[in-house]
Amino acid sequence: MRLGYMARETLRNLRRNLTLTLASILTVAVSLSLLGIALLLQRGVSNATDRWQDGVEFIVFLEPEITVNQLGLVQDEIERSAAIESYRYVDQEESYREFNEDFFPENPEITQLVTPEIIPPSYRIIPRQLSAEAIEIVASGFETKPGVKKVVRATDEIQKIEKATDVIRWIVLGSGAILLGTGLLLILNTIRMAIFARRREIEVMKLVGASNSFILVPFMLEGTFQGLVGAALGTASVYGANRAFEEWLSSENVLNILQSFAVGSGEVWGIGALLFLVGALVGSVGSAIAAYRFLDV
Amino acid sequence: MIKLESVTKVYKGEVLALHEASCDIQKGEFVFLVGQSGSGKSTFLRLLNKEEEPDNGKIFVAGKDIARLRRWRIPQMRRQIGSIFQDFKLLPNKTVSQNVAFALEVIGRPRHVIKAQVPAILDLVGLQTKMNRFPHELSGGEQQRVSIARAFVNRPLILLADEPTGNLDPATSVGIMRLLERINEIGTTVVMATHDRGIVDTMRRRVIELSNGEIVRDQARGVYE
Repeated sequence: MRLGYMARETLRNLRRNLTLTLASILTVAVSLSLLGIALLLQRGVSNATDRWQDGVEFIVFLEPEITVNQLGLVQDEIERSAAIESYRYVDQEESYREFNEDFFPENPEITQLVTPEIIPPSYRIIPRQLSAEAIEIVASGFETKPGVKKVVRATDEIQKIEKATDVIRWIVLGSGAILLGTGLLLILNTIRMAIFARRREIEVMKLVGASNSFILVPFMLEGTFQGLVGAALGTASVYGANRAFEEWLSSENVLNILQSFAVGSGEVWGIGALLFLVGALVGSVGSAIAAYRFLDV
Repeated sequence: MIKLESVTKVYKGEVLALHEASCDIQKGEFVFLVGQSGSGKSTFLRLLNKEEEPDNGKIFVAGKDIARLRRWRIPQMRRQIGSIFQDFKLLPNKTVSQNVAFALEVIGRPRHVIKAQVPAILDLVGLQTKMNRFPHELSGGEQQRVSIARAFVNRPLILLADEPTGNLDPATSVGIMRLLERINEIGTTVVMATHDRGIVDTMRRRVIELSNGEIVRDQARGVYE
């Protein structure tokens, strides 16, 4: 009886205030999709960097015209170092092959300009400790050795990507938060209108002794419903965005390295659950504020 | 049933609505509250319903000091008090029986109780043939009967009436007063604020006269002046 009454009242309010209800729902939906996409981006970057960090290594590029003596010194240094797990020497021939296969398989005219003699040989080194600081200490030791051209660390690249995505993430998150605030205010206003539209009924309800919860709950449900529908739309668009990204990844002209940005469906549903929670929270908080300010129960 | 002990109510710190008012109304009494507009009659009624809080003094309803009532208990208290008004306060988009049923619905009465009690009370107020009409299709007297049915359907101990005949012609008013008398005869305490000299003088019930917020007369079987 009570449940039926409350469901009926909630539905009636939603219908009566259709345009405002739609506005609140769409605002919540857009803000939550932005929030979801920001989270997706964060997951993707963290997945990618995790994967790269598994094979973390640094590369000591040598001068192409390094002397045998200098090479021997570097090799000794690597073998004696307790901080190095393993290493591999890549000579000029192999580097040349990798270069051709990795970068310009379809453009032989470019590779014709490059000869093995100008490509630097290198040591690919996997350190024992994989933290960025540990790598930095070992890697910088080689920078000043004679015959060493350059030391490249994987962490440099990871940090660059993390910085770039951080900026994007904060922009998306910021606009999402502002829109979420707008959604809350819109829900608050919708509920306020609903209370105004029903002020005669509310007056009678108070008069005949309806309990406060009985008066409050339909309005709270209405706001929560708006938040939840917004969350459903937001989750759907996050899911859709992720699907589109996956499809784009599986198309042919995409660099292999981007595959590591893919986000598992479990993680997408986790984000969806979070969006539902935030939606319900925004809806109920918005309507609670409206109810306590304008209902006076 | 109702007891006021030197109750004072001041609006916005300056308008004196009630000053040191004391009275004691027994169960089953029928009391007229008379006085000019602004003499404090409506404030008197609103205080009993806890729609207003007194600035001073104590109010007892059904033996309880209502100032000490917890917030969430107020609805329980109001279920023992029925209220009717000059402007009826009916819901225009509900039929007669829906208006009455609403009062039971919102206090969580089960459906079968509502189904049994609504026709019974509409029978009592003489509207059994107009159950499915909307308020705007009824005369003023009929609308007031609906509002009485709504106030009384929950069998309250007390009925507060704020100028219930203020919008009605004398002949219709007589019918409404007969109805209130019947309700009073069942044992309901009735407190009615009114300007209607004819009604007060013919019924000869207890009269409490207010003037500038003070009780200036409290007379059993009294007249308007």
